[in-house]
Amino acid sequence: MAALIELHSSRSGFPAVNSPTEFTASDDALVRAAQRGDRPAFGLLYARYARMIHGILLSRVPYSDVDDLVQDVFLRALPRLSSLREVSKFPGWLAAIARNRATDFHRRAKPHDEFDEHSVNTEAEQPSPSTRLTSHSTAEAHAVLDAICSLPDSYRETLILRLVEGMTGPEIAARTGLTHGSVRVNLHRGMQQLREILGRKAAPLAGGEL
Amino acid sequence: MTTHANDPEKNKLMNDDYLWDRSGTPDPEIQRLEALLADLRHADQPLILPADAPAASTRPRGLLLRMPWLPRLAAAAVVLFALSASIYFALRPTSTPDAGPGWDVTNLEGAPQIGTKTISTTQAAAKLHVGQTLTTNSTSRASLSDNDLGEIKIDPNSRVRLLQTDNNHKRIQLDVGTIHAAIWAPPGQFVVDTPSAVAVDLGCAYTLQVAPDGSGAIRTTLGWVGFHLNGRDSFIPAGAMCSTRPKFGPGIPYFEDAGEIFRNALHDFDLSGQSADSASPALNTILSEARPRDGLTLWHLLSRTTGPARAQVYARFAALVPPPPAVTRDGILALDPPMLDLYWNALNLGDISVWRFWEQSSEPHQSPASRQTPQKKQLLLKKAP
Repeated sequence: MAALIELHSSRSGFPAVNSPTEFTASDDALVRAAQRGDRPAFGLLYARYARMIHGILLSRVPYSDVDDLVQDVFLRALPRLSSLREVSKFPGWLAAIARNRATDFHRRAKPHDEFDEHSVNTEAEQPSPSTRLTSHSTAEAHAVLDAICSLPDSYRETLILRLVEGMTGPEIAARTGLTHGSVRVNLHRGMQQLREILGRKAAPLAGGEL
Repeated sequence: MTTHANDPEKNKLMNDDYLWDRSGTPDPEIQRLEALLADLRHADQPLILPADAPAASTRPRGLLLRMPWLPRLAAAAVVLFALSASIYFALRPTSTPDAGPGWDVTNLEGAPQIGTKTISTTQAAAKLHVGQTLTTNSTSRASLSDNDLGEIKIDPNSRVRLLQTDNNHKRIQLDVGTIHAAIWAPPGQFVVDTPSAVAVDLGCAYTLQVAPDGSGAIRTTLGWVGFHLNGRDSFIPAGAMCSTRPKFGPGIPYFEDAGEIFRNALHDFDLSGQSADSASPALNTILSEARPRDGLTLWHLLSRTTGPARAQVYARFAALVPPPPAVTRDGILALDPPMLDLYWNALNLGDISVWRFWEQSSEPHQSPASRQTPQKKQLLLKKAP
């Protein structure tokens, strides 16, 4: 039967159910617990890392597919957790699963991608994450997302984690396993390039006198 | 830290500080981008794991791992092949994606798809199984039905995933698009997850929409629906509607026949901050324009306001809908759950005990009194029977 277990972050003041896991437990402790089959611990890891995975995927696949793929990444990670010998490498390991899943997504989507002919984005090799978004109210957000996704890999991923997912530089470093220096450089240079792109896009709209 | 308007290098460094960890002088451009892009952020959706999903487990290293590399690889390949073959043959009849419980899918128009498979108009009975996604494009429509559930019509440009179906729990996820649900399953059994709220059927027919940005709206035509997320509950009876936004959850419901001034003020209130502790122009307009029937809206406003604003809401609410005998002003201002429930029932819009039963039996939930507290992520574990 299709009994499901639902793991999610939720409201304050509510006790964790059936879980000996402390909310404040370290990531390493949670990974070890999850390796022993402790699903609440895995749920806590999901709560802590879902934003990062969402950001990584958002920098690579269409927005409309990201939520499904986030679930998929964690579903793939669970049975493989026991193969992770150094629990401290969990963040980078999980991020790698997400990046591989995004690559896999594009590989599988190619033969069926009947929307290619409508794509006019010749600058980016990968389809724009917001290709399928149509809401006028968020059109500007999608335009900015497109601009970010036209940046080099390392810049766009870091910028999305910062600007979309709301993570700070130190959080990004802790979650992705990158050094503070790398993250700071990625943010600085990525933001610099993003400003240039947005500036170029805004210039023709500024009245045409330029 | 002072601003060095004439020193671009220093300004750049300070702006980088804000970009790095939000310290230093805020960069208006980055703040604008943060606000703009926040709608695309991860929406704290629950992780759904099949109960039979393999759990990770650590095992002591066996013989294989103590062998040298080449023999180890060869042995591993043999073991893997044997294992794969036995698993494949053992599970083949029941492990295909098309197996297990599912709902009937009917093509109403165009070419709706289950996964990548198109459902033809001549196809007798396609099934949507747990874990599968039904998608409609701009020219297609479909319907989902189940004898124990009811019927759900899927409009164009929609995406629906079946999460769960058993005797007592039926759950789908609406990522984007519009569904029209006519449900005859007992109240509380049918639940729809959306990016910005969870809709719980309490015996009704309704239309639920989700925009690409994750915001949504529900319009009830029969019975009533519970809408909740992040500690916010909204109850939407027939004739009423309610919108919902990512991160904020459900807004305040209102009857669609309410006046335009009332509705506009409510919209402004919903957008401006949902825990007002002092009277705002929008709140004043809502209260002055409210009819007795708008007690629906005022009841919800009690828990979305604090301090003097809540007292103001209570005064107007009590003038329009006299409180039941057991309900006191102090109790309501303290958001006493039993008193709030009694007052809700006095509106004759649905018995709130149905909702409370659903809360207790199906999903952990927060009491109305604690709605105003800051949110803190915690883990909930629920296993369906």
